[in-house]
Amino acid sequence: MRARLLLALTALALAACGGDDANLTLALNWKPEPEFGGIFEAERSGAFARRGLAFERTGGPGAPVVQMVTARQVAFGIASADEVVLARDRGSDVVAVFATYQTSPQGLMTHAARGLDTLEAVLRSPGTLAVEPGLPYVKWLERRYGLGALRVVPYTYSIAPFLTDPTLTQQVFVTAEPIAARRAGADPRVFLVADSGFDPYTAVVITHGERLRRDAATVAALVAALREGWRGYLDDPGPANALMGPLNPEMDAEAMRLAAEAQEPLIGVKDGALGSMRAERWAKLAGQLQELGLVKEPQPADRYFASFE
Amino acid sequence: MTSTRLARVAPPVATFVVGVALAELVIRALDVSPLILPRPSAVLAAAVAESSALLPALGATARAVLGGLALASTLGIAAAVALAASPWIQRAFYPYAIFFQIVPIVAIAPLLVIWFGYGPRAVVAAAFVVSVFPVIANTLAGLLSVDPALRDLFRLHGASAPATLWKLRLPWALPYLLTGLRIAAGLAVIGAIVGEFVGGGGLGVIVLGAMRQQRTDLVFAAVGYASGLGLALFAAVGLASRLALRHWHVSERER
Repeated sequence: MRARLLLALTALALAACGGDDANLTLALNWKPEPEFGGIFEAERSGAFARRGLAFERTGGPGAPVVQMVTARQVAFGIASADEVVLARDRGSDVVAVFATYQTSPQGLMTHAARGLDTLEAVLRSPGTLAVEPGLPYVKWLERRYGLGALRVVPYTYSIAPFLTDPTLTQQVFVTAEPIAARRAGADPRVFLVADSGFDPYTAVVITHGERLRRDAATVAALVAALREGWRGYLDDPGPANALMGPLNPEMDAEAMRLAAEAQEPLIGVKDGALGSMRAERWAKLAGQLQELGLVKEPQPADRYFASFE
Repeated sequence: MTSTRLARVAPPVATFVVGVALAELVIRALDVSPLILPRPSAVLAAAVAESSALLPALGATARAVLGGLALASTLGIAAAVALAASPWIQRAFYPYAIFFQIVPIVAIAPLLVIWFGYGPRAVVAAAFVVSVFPVIANTLAGLLSVDPALRDLFRLHGASAPATLWKLRLPWALPYLLTGLRIAAGLAVIGAIVGEFVGGGGLGVIVLGAMRQQRTDLVFAAVGYASGLGLALFAAVGLASRLALRHWHVSERER
């Protein structure tokens, strides 16, 4: 009884400290899916609530999350590390605070029947490559291997062209399209872009630099809650998946389960807490983006992210 | 430059210069992040610096737009003539012509790629789909509004149906058709760019790539090129309309 009262008082006190920050907005960049599993688990298990945090989720596919955080329309958002470096180069003050995927889930998928064993072989064999125009990693692959053998066409988030064209290669999140293609009867082979040396942190939680300076405690609480949420999700993705299911009719329970399974090796951190980031990797990424002509001047690595070890 | 021509060119140019200067000042004063709204000077700089990519893209988009407009005019006029043939045909088919006006091009664009494959054909198809309805609707209105007195005159002289069509009804519909084409020209540019989002090539792909790379200056520069294309087409239709109508139609007589 007394413990419960204490808990309630603590929550009240924390909520009071939070002030207007008690209600924070978090913009996702896709529909609810295992990529955000830890967020939903933190919501479900009370990891946010116990720290006095309450989130309103917004955004979705196509949401200009970096712009929304830059304009401070939302407190937090999901982006990728390359987007953070580009945005800061364009004068925005967005900062990464938690990196879900330690290994980028971006990849290319083609048909296994083609018998191609390496990314290089895929890119040097004649065929069609469906990718979103302007992706930094495609520019990287072009510089590294050349795309001369391929007809490059836009990717429109449908695997229908892949299913009908035996020489088509397309961009994927290893947690999404390959699973859908396999369930549609195709036999895809997937190559991680990360293996070619371009490996930005992905599904990164970002915030505005101003919030870090003014309200680092809330950010630290968020990171701690996310860590707890992700640990819970990795142990058992079931409950959070059940929560996300009705919000994303395109993925059934089986697709969610398979995606959670596929992403597990990308999330773990060898030395350090879940979500933590290292300066060398930010410096390397900024250098690569400069080499590609996408960034004028790399910034000191510690401006790109904040550490909450 | 004659004073009348100056009087025609000066107002839009002045509006442009003042508008751009005002935007530049406001964006600077409010210190808006270039990620959210780029300064006009940055857009202009990108339009020049990236012209080696933008100009070929403009060419590709222009070809697709012209292809789409050519198809829309031929098929649109033919459809209007067919619809005007009898009220029954009109009642049976006109509602389906309206489909072209209300079809959400963004939604069907991916299907166009499945039907026509990646590349210019899908883009031409997208430009056609959005620009055919104004041609049909305007030409049909023209064909149906022929002065009854003139129609009676043709009938009294025993003119055949093809002769009436060729010598009376089509010329009568011409000003209407040209108005339809003016509307279609702007729409075709929008259709082509949406088509390029999924079919590839042209300014559409530059816009997508620039968004992805957070180059809002380049996004607006590409949009500027597309607007230039739309304006040029609008002017070309205007010129054609002046040349075709100036001797006989009240809308293009010297004002």
